[in-house]
Amino acid sequence: MIRQVVFALALLATVGVFAFTIRRIVSFFRHTRPGYPVRQIGKRFVIMLKVAFGQTKIFSRPVTGLAHALVFWGFCIILFGSIEMVIDGLAGTERSLSFLGGFYDFLMGSGDIFAYIVAIAVIIFLVRRIFIHIRRFEGIEMKKISHIDAIVALSMILLLMISLAGMNIGYAGGTIISGEPVKGVYPVSTWLARLIGNESPEFMHTLYEVCWWTHILSIFVFANMLPYSKHFHVFMSVPNVFLSRLEPLGKLTNMDNVTREVKLMMNPETAFSAASSDAPVERFGVKDAEDVVWKTYFDSLSCTECGRCTSVCPANITGKKLSPRKVMMDLRARMKEKGPLMTSNGRDYSDNKSLLRDYITEEELWACTTCNACASECPININHPSLIVDMRRYLVMEEASAPGELKTVFSNIENNGAPWQYSSEDRMLWARDLNFSIPLMSDCAANGTTPEYLFWVGCAGAFDDRYKKVVRSFAKILNHLKISYAVLGREETCNGDPARRAGNEMLFQMQALQVIEVLKSYGVKKIITTCPHCSNIFKNEYPDLGGSYEVINYLQFLNRYAAEGKLGINPGSLKGKAVTYHDPCYLGRANEIYDEPRALLKRLSGGFTEMERHGSFALCCGAGGAQMFKEAEKGEKEVFIERTEEALRSGAEVIASACPFCMTMLTDGLKYKNRENDVRNLDMAELVAQSLEL
Amino acid sequence: MKILVCISNVPDTTTKVKFVDSDTKLDTTGIQWVINPWDELSLTRALELKDDPSAGVKSVTVAHVGLPASEPTIRKALAIGADDAFRVNAAPADSYFVAAQLAAVIRKEQYDVILCGIESSDYNGSMTGGMVAEFLGIPSVSAVSDIKIENGSPLLTREIDGGREIVTVPMPFVAIVQKGIAKEPRIASMRGIMTSRTKPVRLYEPEAEEPLTGIKVYEKPSPRAACKFIDPENAGQLITLLQNEAKII
Repeated sequence: MIRQVVFALALLATVGVFAFTIRRIVSFFRHTRPGYPVRQIGKRFVIMLKVAFGQTKIFSRPVTGLAHALVFWGFCIILFGSIEMVIDGLAGTERSLSFLGGFYDFLMGSGDIFAYIVAIAVIIFLVRRIFIHIRRFEGIEMKKISHIDAIVALSMILLLMISLAGMNIGYAGGTIISGEPVKGVYPVSTWLARLIGNESPEFMHTLYEVCWWTHILSIFVFANMLPYSKHFHVFMSVPNVFLSRLEPLGKLTNMDNVTREVKLMMNPETAFSAASSDAPVERFGVKDAEDVVWKTYFDSLSCTECGRCTSVCPANITGKKLSPRKVMMDLRARMKEKGPLMTSNGRDYSDNKSLLRDYITEEELWACTTCNACASECPININHPSLIVDMRRYLVMEEASAPGELKTVFSNIENNGAPWQYSSEDRMLWARDLNFSIPLMSDCAANGTTPEYLFWVGCAGAFDDRYKKVVRSFAKILNHLKISYAVLGREETCNGDPARRAGNEMLFQMQALQVIEVLKSYGVKKIITTCPHCSNIFKNEYPDLGGSYEVINYLQFLNRYAAEGKLGINPGSLKGKAVTYHDPCYLGRANEIYDEPRALLKRLSGGFTEMERHGSFALCCGAGGAQMFKEAEKGEKEVFIERTEEALRSGAEVIASACPFCMTMLTDGLKYKNRENDVRNLDMAELVAQSLEL
Repeated sequence: MKILVCISNVPDTTTKVKFVDSDTKLDTTGIQWVINPWDELSLTRALELKDDPSAGVKSVTVAHVGLPASEPTIRKALAIGADDAFRVNAAPADSYFVAAQLAAVIRKEQYDVILCGIESSDYNGSMTGGMVAEFLGIPSVSAVSDIKIENGSPLLTREIDGGREIVTVPMPFVAIVQKGIAKEPRIASMRGIMTSRTKPVRLYEPEAEEPLTGIKVYEKPSPRAACKFIDPENAGQLITLLQNEAKII
């Protein structure tokens, strides 16, 4: 009876402290902003089963991945035994769930095996942490406390496993001596108990009792330690995966409050008249912890600082200050600091500090290429770029602050409809001396015809001398295939992608709403693009503003025609040449177009070779997220050089790319490495056109 | 201290200039109008001074002579951060006319520092600033590349041949500023754009002044000849061409 009372008191204390902690954290969530609604429950379950319970993403590093997966699965199984211990503790029973029979034997048996596996895995983790210098665990954000935090949590898990093993050995040993029937199966512990030999029944009983109490009390302590450490991950990660953003990584969230303003501004009736009193008091973008949406805070609480995000971040790899892990840790730390102050003094309370600048500097924010490698790599689907872009949005829209080159880009987009300073009247110069004419949408409309596709040329296609050759090649292919298409010509204008990624949501939406009007006037239904940034924004982001189209990237288009045998590719054109393919972030990670270019290249050449980092692990060229238009932040190396070196290591003579920005970066990289004479950087459209002898 | 920034409404620099009415008028179809780049930089510097409490700038006003069609340009200046604006409702016929109209309003409204861009990117007349000062009978300082206000008195940096000079000037005065006055133009913040809708723009009808000049005809420069490319192996051909065709060696 005393035993039960002691147990009940311990449990009560545990639940009490835990409830206090949860209440505190829930109050922090109340300060955050509403995010997306949680719908599509079925789909979420599938993702949870796959990513969380299946541990699929963590296996990208197979060895540590397996160790982690075993610990995770072990915990899931062992949890059952812990529940039984709570029942036993309260009811004064012993092995109360053993009535489950075979299922009980299975759980206890696998739990027993897992106890040892987990213990071994945790010892490996501890050795890695303490004795082996692993780069991923270092970084400016990894303070001494982070390391201590990790070691304490791992030691705690080790204690849990040792006590569980001791409990099982004591129990199994006791039954062997007494000859009583065993409830459950304990394969490893029984073997170990036999190995220990014929100890006294008292010894086995004491071992069992001591370990039983140690185990359950450790669980109680551990459960209450977790929310105050990075290992809150244990509770938060499965729900975090369940609550994942379901949209493609390339999609940025639309700011509806900006849409409202832009629509007011674009309407001549309200442009100069709407009262400022109807302006929202809410801040645009994220300056401090309370400006984030609840899911971003959830992300930060789920982060266990594994550093996989940072280890794949192109900015971090090349020595810039940005570390996606730090961004998440900073948000968590800032909320821990400001949350209680807001809880007691109201959400508007200011302590004269903020997440921006006091935690995360502008330099870090502007170094992001929005390549989404961090989000793609995160084993629990944390989305770092959305927070980074939201903070840029604050800088640009509230403080009118951005690197000088980007301010020029904004002015250019606003004044002449392109990130560079070129007249829209020059938008058709790329097609000047083709031996066929490029149909214009306006001409088609005048003739009363509606082409099947709008070919969106893009600003690089219109103005970048190197990339003009790519759109020319693609136009030749369209012409060769007798596709019904037309271009907008002078009516085309920047669709706002660089502005949006640089945080200028207002300029983006102004451009987007204009483009949508033009497309509507021509009844455009299908858009085909060569630029992945244009594809992405039309496909994923325009629907939020009322522009829904069937968007086809040219690689999908070419591959479909090739697969259907309609594209008479001459496989001889690249024969004997080693070719590698650089995955543009906005085709690959953002939209999961990985197979099409590879299938095409295999048709073109026998010598396809992959770079070390490819597919979803491909390194960014360094130009995404409006980086194309500005100097890189200070670091040890430029991203484009790192990527070019990697491409050269593959031994390829041709580096195939599929993006205007990647093309600029890789071409510059080849020049920098003095290899432009023996290695060529060609676009997929050029390679296909070449093989068709166009 | 009240600062006035005079802004001109000019076609965006990428505009392909075309003329109508037998080359006597600018074809304004499809032109994107922007704040004259020099004026935009003066506005930026004025706002920087206002942001610095030690400079003691109370307000930054924008002045413009133009028809209602230039309203978006004025609103843009207000969105960037000017407090208010006035517009003289007349087509800006020439520098003299514009300066006279500006001077008439400045006399009524009284400003301590008047900033004018050194030229406008459309007609590049480079006269308005000096004329405004003459009309008002106040000093003007030209080619100003920096303005500081120390202990309430202005310090102007002028770019001169082979160096720079720093001058003081009693207020009120006109500073005719050139590029370098601010690093890069300020962009409008979202809140700036929202509040710009309701900031006051005072409307003045023009004084009876006649322009001193008129446009007789516009002529475009002759188009550049096509660029000739010579194969690097044919260096001899380059020398022949430079000698016989270009006649420069």
